[in-house]
Amino acid sequence: MIKGVVAILWKDLRVEWRSRERLGPMVVFVFLIILVFNFSFELGGSALHEIGPGVLWSAFVFAGLFGLNHTFATELDNNCLDALMLAPVSHSSLYLAKMLGNLLFLLVVELLSLPFFCLFFNLSPGLYLVPLVAVLTLGASCLASVGTLFAAMSSNSRLREFLLPLLVLPMIYPALIWAVKATAIVFEHSRPSTTGAFWPGSLTEPVSFLLVYSIVFTTLALMLFDQVLED
Amino acid sequence: MTTGAVRLEQVTKRYGALAAVNSVDLEIEAGALLLMAGANGAGKSTLLRILAGLIRPTQGRVLVNGQPPHSSLESRAEIGLLSHKNLLYDTLTARENLLFCGRLYGLEDRRETAEAALANVGMSARADTPVGTLSRGMKQRLALARATLHRPGLLLLDEPFEGLDRRASQALSQRLTDLRARRETTVVVVTHRVDEVVDLVDRVAVLERGRLCCDSAWRGGSLEELQALCDSHLQGV
Repeated sequence: MIKGVVAILWKDLRVEWRSRERLGPMVVFVFLIILVFNFSFELGGSALHEIGPGVLWSAFVFAGLFGLNHTFATELDNNCLDALMLAPVSHSSLYLAKMLGNLLFLLVVELLSLPFFCLFFNLSPGLYLVPLVAVLTLGASCLASVGTLFAAMSSNSRLREFLLPLLVLPMIYPALIWAVKATAIVFEHSRPSTTGAFWPGSLTEPVSFLLVYSIVFTTLALMLFDQVLED
Repeated sequence: MTTGAVRLEQVTKRYGALAAVNSVDLEIEAGALLLMAGANGAGKSTLLRILAGLIRPTQGRVLVNGQPPHSSLESRAEIGLLSHKNLLYDTLTARENLLFCGRLYGLEDRRETAEAALANVGMSARADTPVGTLSRGMKQRLALARATLHRPGLLLLDEPFEGLDRRASQALSQRLTDLRARRETTVVVVTHRVDEVVDLVDRVAVLERGRLCCDSAWRGGSLEELQALCDSHLQGV
């Protein structure tokens, strides 16, 4: 199974490296959303703690949806999905490879756009940002686990660009709430007045929820993926 | 060891009220070459996809080497498919496509196998060319190399001569002749270019509106006779 996952993931990364159809537009999209919010609300200072986490996650989710829409696009061009389904690798391997690919792309987008966000939202770098890595990774894995399954479901539809957000957003909503909450806690911890532990105690609850959500939906998706591919 | 024996028992595939394939019983002995004929929309491609395990039949049973191809990884490893579409990634080079295929099938010596496959279809000089920039005929040759890379026991060919020039068609016919001579691979060919396979065919199956209306052994004969056999069941379609 691992060999199949690695082979498909490696192929996807190579295809992306050649075509640059996904990562570039996703990063530009996040930049633009942050920029629009910044100029619309003239953000800075206290605004960071009030709407910053929401802005950040809105940007990630919408850019993520763009990337998710392309998950199976390359497989449909020359019916390459048939070749994958025909190969002696389990369909779970295909799901895991696509999910990991989406997670990787989301993490790269987050990594590239975070300094930009810090700059526009007057967020000074510091050690308190380290827990944010865990929050961003778990939030991205929630989006990737649900999104990959629905990307497969909508891939054969002519309305997939419209259908995918319609399917993903209601499902990702609980995880999004906790991701925003966790990010707000991390940002709150950045205030000069707040001192204390490296990992704020109040962060454990939302992070645990994100972890459970990610595990549950990855497991569910693995169980359902075979059926989705057939339909 | 010869592999690739195929058995279909009362196989039906429905799309709503339409039966694309209807109660098909068929047995293909290992190493044989079956020509599947029929008019457009007769269900040939659907049946080929069912044989490949890409579509699960609504009713009935498909067995390749005694195992259902849909659920058995071992059975799937025995199948090679040349489809209407080439199943190749346009942004990857010819070599990269074959190497990826080799990885999926767990080939130990995939580099050597890929190079040999490229040479076999006369594509070594274009090995590092992205597939998207190749001509249709070259893509078809590469698709054939991909389909046969893992030495399948059952080779399913859907219009394999489409897009090939005369030389490439002859090379493919020669390839099929070699396969038939070794009797290591069972081949199912769907083609309207009967002239390319007339000397290779062991059996002929004709589909008409999803039903198998002819399944007979071919003991050799002229192109006209084979064409007549294929067409005799198509009147009124």
